[in-house]
Amino acid sequence: MKVQNDVVKSYRMVPEDFVKHLLSTLVIVAVVVLAASALFGVPEKQPMTIKSYSTAHPVAFEQMALRALDGQGQIADYGPPYNNGTASVQSPMQSLVGVIHPVNAATDFILKPLSMASAINPAIKPALTQFEKASSAQQARWETRYTAALAKGVYRNGVVVTPQGQYGPLPSLLNATLALGKSGLMSGALTRNGAVTTRFDNQNYLLFLQGAPLQNAPQTQNLQGPNWGIIHPAINGYPAAWWMTVPTWIYQWPFVVNSAAPDAMALAIGFLFWLTLALTPWIPGLNRLPRYLGIHRLIWKNFYKNQPVDTPPAKVEKGGAQHAS
Amino acid sequence: MANWTVTSKKMLSEVMSAETWLPTEMPEYAQGFMYMLGSLTASSFVVLVISGVLLAMNGPDTWSYNSAMRFVAATHFWAVQAFFFFMMLHLWRVFFTGAWRGGRGATWLLGAIAFLIAIPTAFTGFLINGDLYSQWNAVQAKDGLNALGMGWVNLTNAGQMFGMHVVVLPLVLTGVIGLHIIRVRTKSVVPPYPTAPKEGEAQQ
Repeated sequence: MKVQNDVVKSYRMVPEDFVKHLLSTLVIVAVVVLAASALFGVPEKQPMTIKSYSTAHPVAFEQMALRALDGQGQIADYGPPYNNGTASVQSPMQSLVGVIHPVNAATDFILKPLSMASAINPAIKPALTQFEKASSAQQARWETRYTAALAKGVYRNGVVVTPQGQYGPLPSLLNATLALGKSGLMSGALTRNGAVTTRFDNQNYLLFLQGAPLQNAPQTQNLQGPNWGIIHPAINGYPAAWWMTVPTWIYQWPFVVNSAAPDAMALAIGFLFWLTLALTPWIPGLNRLPRYLGIHRLIWKNFYKNQPVDTPPAKVEKGGAQHAS
Repeated sequence: MANWTVTSKKMLSEVMSAETWLPTEMPEYAQGFMYMLGSLTASSFVVLVISGVLLAMNGPDTWSYNSAMRFVAATHFWAVQAFFFFMMLHLWRVFFTGAWRGGRGATWLLGAIAFLIAIPTAFTGFLINGDLYSQWNAVQAKDGLNALGMGWVNLTNAGQMFGMHVVVLPLVLTGVIGLHIIRVRTKSVVPPYPTAPKEGEAQQ
């Protein structure tokens, strides 16, 4: 017998109040949701802001700002869709899309905000001019030396202090960036768009913080991909996106997480799982499985109890909808 | 070739009929809690839409400084939990009862598509919330989308995510859920398996 026609043909119709049924389920859900909202509220974890991060970690903040400036940061060398870097290109498809959300980490994250800040604090201007007029080789020398110096940097009297050295304008520039970050004004500089006054796009704000600040924050450790990431809530005890369990589980597979394209691979394999689910009716074997699992006997216990002997399947059934109500 | 108008007319007559949407009898096997799961999922979707409209009317960040809107945000949060919870139970029920039999494959497929679309619909909602969870997941998930050549979907652009979450994805999801429910109503729910497999039946 075809799996499509593997159905009983004889059953009774019983009275039903469908409107009452629908209203009942709506009331059940509304009561449960309102009760849960009243009892547990909503899990909102304080976000990481540039102000909070720079205030709490001034040296690490300057190190991150320097990586944005010297091209060593994750976004500076990311690749499409942000720029022509190569560090985070996982597939040819990614390159095909091209640079559609352009980001120049040095200019967009550091130099433009500092240029705006220099209008308020003119002391920034000479250092900025000196940096921008220097050759790229000279900039690179300063940056290499100051990267090493910042590893020994300490925060004192509102600025980061390093051992003496030939760093050009970098100490001034990065301390100015730190001051801007601590002021809370840097977010505005990062999300501004001179062409429009609405502020829908917070891309650069998030990308600025996406490396070390968010990766190393204690509050995100539970949310990391290898730790089953998204299915964990930011506030313990609350449910999160547990429906992402399968792709998150796939992300734990060693050959996925260690591959060159872990994110694309986890999503692609997850899609294959979904495809199997979606095509179950047409997959031989899988489409007959429920019959042999026998759970349906529990679900239809009362029906089977009342009809111990089923009538043999009808010879022909067209569409199977004869009994549709 | 069949007359398209006649065919459309016939289909619409069935879909728009009160007989389809307001049945006064049901098959005897389609009773009890197991047959409430689909309606509970749909009811959760209704609560999601109502709470979502309230949030959209007031602005997506009003929960952060207005206690009434924080409560509405909480209802939206718990409604999505209810939605996926009942959807999963519904999915298990329809799987264990082989609900694709008797010409109901498309019903199953539409349900599976609704499940797939529901995932980014919920995800984009998390992204526009503006808390640490949104911040973290925006920057983490972007790499996967970028790698798959979907960089135009910019998870770090709250405006685009707002549009996706409030208009694009819910519209598509509503359409797919609507088609799924139309199929359920017009084809009815699947009848039970015949009681015992007949001799040699599995091989046929």
